[in-house]
Amino acid sequence: MWWIGIGHAGTLISAILLLLNQGWRNAINRFAEAMTLFAVACAGQFPILHMGRPWLGYWLIPYPNTMALWPQFRSPLDWDVFAVSTYATISVVFWYVGLIPDLASLRDKAHKRYQQVIFGALSLGWRGSAMHWMRYEKASLVLAGLSTPLVVSVHTVVSFDFAISIIPGWHTTIFPPYFVAGAIYSGFAMVLALMIPVRRFYGLEDLITLQHMNNMAKVMLATGLIVAYGYTSEVFFAWYSANNFERFMMHNRQFGPYAPFYWCLIFCNIITPQFLWIAKVRMHMGILFVISLIVNVGMWLERFVIVITSLHRDFVPSSWGYYSPTRWDWAVYIGTIGLFMTLIFLFVRVLPMITIFEMRMLVPSGRVKEPVR
Amino acid sequence: MITANSYSLSTEADATLARLQTRSLVVGIVGLVACAAGLVLSPDHFFRGWLVGFVFWFCMTLGSTALLMVQYLTGGAWGMVIRRPLEASSRTMLLMAVLFIPILFALPTLFEWARPEAAYDAVIQAKTLYLNKTFFTIRQFVYFGIWLVMVYLLNKWSLREDADRNIYYAKWLQRISGPGLVLYALTLTLCTTDWVMSLDAHWFSTVFAFMMLSGQGLSTLSLMTAMVILLAHTEPMRSVLTKRHTHDLGKLMLTFVMLWAYLNFSQLVIIWAGNLPEEITWYTRRMNNGWQWVGLALLMFHFVVPFLLLLSQELKKRPKLLTFVALWIIAIRLVDVFWLIEPNFDQDQLRMHWMDLAAPIGIGGVWMALFLWNLRRHPLMPVNAPDLQKALNHGRHH
Repeated sequence: MWWIGIGHAGTLISAILLLLNQGWRNAINRFAEAMTLFAVACAGQFPILHMGRPWLGYWLIPYPNTMALWPQFRSPLDWDVFAVSTYATISVVFWYVGLIPDLASLRDKAHKRYQQVIFGALSLGWRGSAMHWMRYEKASLVLAGLSTPLVVSVHTVVSFDFAISIIPGWHTTIFPPYFVAGAIYSGFAMVLALMIPVRRFYGLEDLITLQHMNNMAKVMLATGLIVAYGYTSEVFFAWYSANNFERFMMHNRQFGPYAPFYWCLIFCNIITPQFLWIAKVRMHMGILFVISLIVNVGMWLERFVIVITSLHRDFVPSSWGYYSPTRWDWAVYIGTIGLFMTLIFLFVRVLPMITIFEMRMLVPSGRVKEPVR
Repeated sequence: MITANSYSLSTEADATLARLQTRSLVVGIVGLVACAAGLVLSPDHFFRGWLVGFVFWFCMTLGSTALLMVQYLTGGAWGMVIRRPLEASSRTMLLMAVLFIPILFALPTLFEWARPEAAYDAVIQAKTLYLNKTFFTIRQFVYFGIWLVMVYLLNKWSLREDADRNIYYAKWLQRISGPGLVLYALTLTLCTTDWVMSLDAHWFSTVFAFMMLSGQGLSTLSLMTAMVILLAHTEPMRSVLTKRHTHDLGKLMLTFVMLWAYLNFSQLVIIWAGNLPEEITWYTRRMNNGWQWVGLALLMFHFVVPFLLLLSQELKKRPKLLTFVALWIIAIRLVDVFWLIEPNFDQDQLRMHWMDLAAPIGIGGVWMALFLWNLRRHPLMPVNAPDLQKALNHGRHH
């Protein structure tokens, strides 16, 4: 959940901002899309691991078999399979289509034979003719139109995984929009957390400007407020429902054995982002970096609180217990962070992380009065 | 050089609005007389219809206030062309506050928690801290207080900007819009809980206020779109409005149509799958005894048809067709509000009382008349707004 949420900002930045004609996306979209792909790759590990028998992972896919066995189509877990795999496919295509003109540039600049062959094959014979560009623009628009509902649908289905059950703390109707907002929130926090150091170390301050950072921080604040609204309404309606189980769940969450996690979550996800109201904070890279890290921690805590506090004490007190992550739980989690970072660094090394051709169009318009030599 | 005069209403435009205003007022007065008759003949139905009409038109008033703040925060040419109509519509807040008063006198008629038999209901007893007549009344004063202050500031600074060219007004407007929207979300949640959700005091749904929010956005955008297109025949709107503007407004309407459907669908799936007695009753009531046809009509005409129509780029650029879709949406919004409110009363069978039409028409006539009167009093564009020229050039080639 944490990973897939992070993935969403990439698509949001590329797709929705493209549909909204927001020019500022150009500098950051490539990086954000790559982050999406890698986060989805990390997220994809978990359902397979969770089945306990990872070698039977293909059972999730409906295929005609001799025993006429089908997955349970009424389970949102199965909807997840479709939602995430569609989302991953479209994200890959979107990212790749966006890369083609740049791959062609790399091909043209390549000196070594193997580079010419690889980039040449990958750029699919791009020559940059007017026809190519026209089709490119059209394809981007269609893919953006497809990705936008997919972003929403993926996290909606993830929220259904919880909300469709009748576990107090999981079964609540605000989950779909609140999960989508939470996903975007954590995604933007991750983009910032990665982008701020990369921008600094590679000296990209002129391409990824303070204005970009400012805008991303504003989106983070807005989605953070929606998430805060979600928490508040959960508390209020748990009381308003007048349902014993609902009220107990909220009381247990706030004052039970896992209460420190809940209050940490409130601190990380609600109190910290309030500093983003101040423009100076949004423009100060050090503080913004720390805030984005805190928000990432907060979003991890959110998932922990939702999953654990609702499950560890259910309707029958005899089945109450405590959960603490085992060595292997941590190992799996840290392992995916390693996988993510490896992929990100590979990407930064091998492919252009800022769209070359879009920068070519933006940069000249920035310096108009340069003397002609 | 642009002066305030270049965006003042031309005589023809003013005449169009004045004609519409008179007609609205006449319709409104006739409707209100009918309401008065309804109050005498059948007070129960009068109050139910009044609540439907009030909530429906209130969506426009509060929705305009919220959209005003949204456009200050996001910028965008669409916001500039509808800013003055939004302001005029937000200034109906005081009228809405007055029109709410009858409801305060009818709490036991409308709300089951305000009736004496609620004392024997364990669930309602568990929430009397919130659902009691005194606190309910206090809350209404707080909501309207907050909204009136918001409306006052948003209008005052924007109109001051016209008079003296102080750029600080734009900054102030932007600065109050962020916290204003936070306050909007909170008050909207509570007032929706009070006015609509608590009609069935056992039922609760955390996404319900969001559904109302999407409805408000949709109602308001549709009315504003219809309004600017109506004005596009005459100056000053004729030289202001481009196809890009109506295209953008159409896109926003499409977004809200999808948002409305998404939220309604989510609530339905979650409650249907959970099938808990305290929640599912809200739907069983609306899926039986004739109410299911209203629900299906909403699915078809509040989502499918407007969605398919608004997908077309061609349509969004054709003012006449877009007006048609906008008016369509406004009409179907009334059905939606009716569907949210009325099944709480007539549980056994779908019934429509003539008050369900008379009250929305009566309130609507007066509302429209005041809105148009407000609109006629000031230039149609915020003449000194910093981004005005950029917004007007949207979609024009140089």
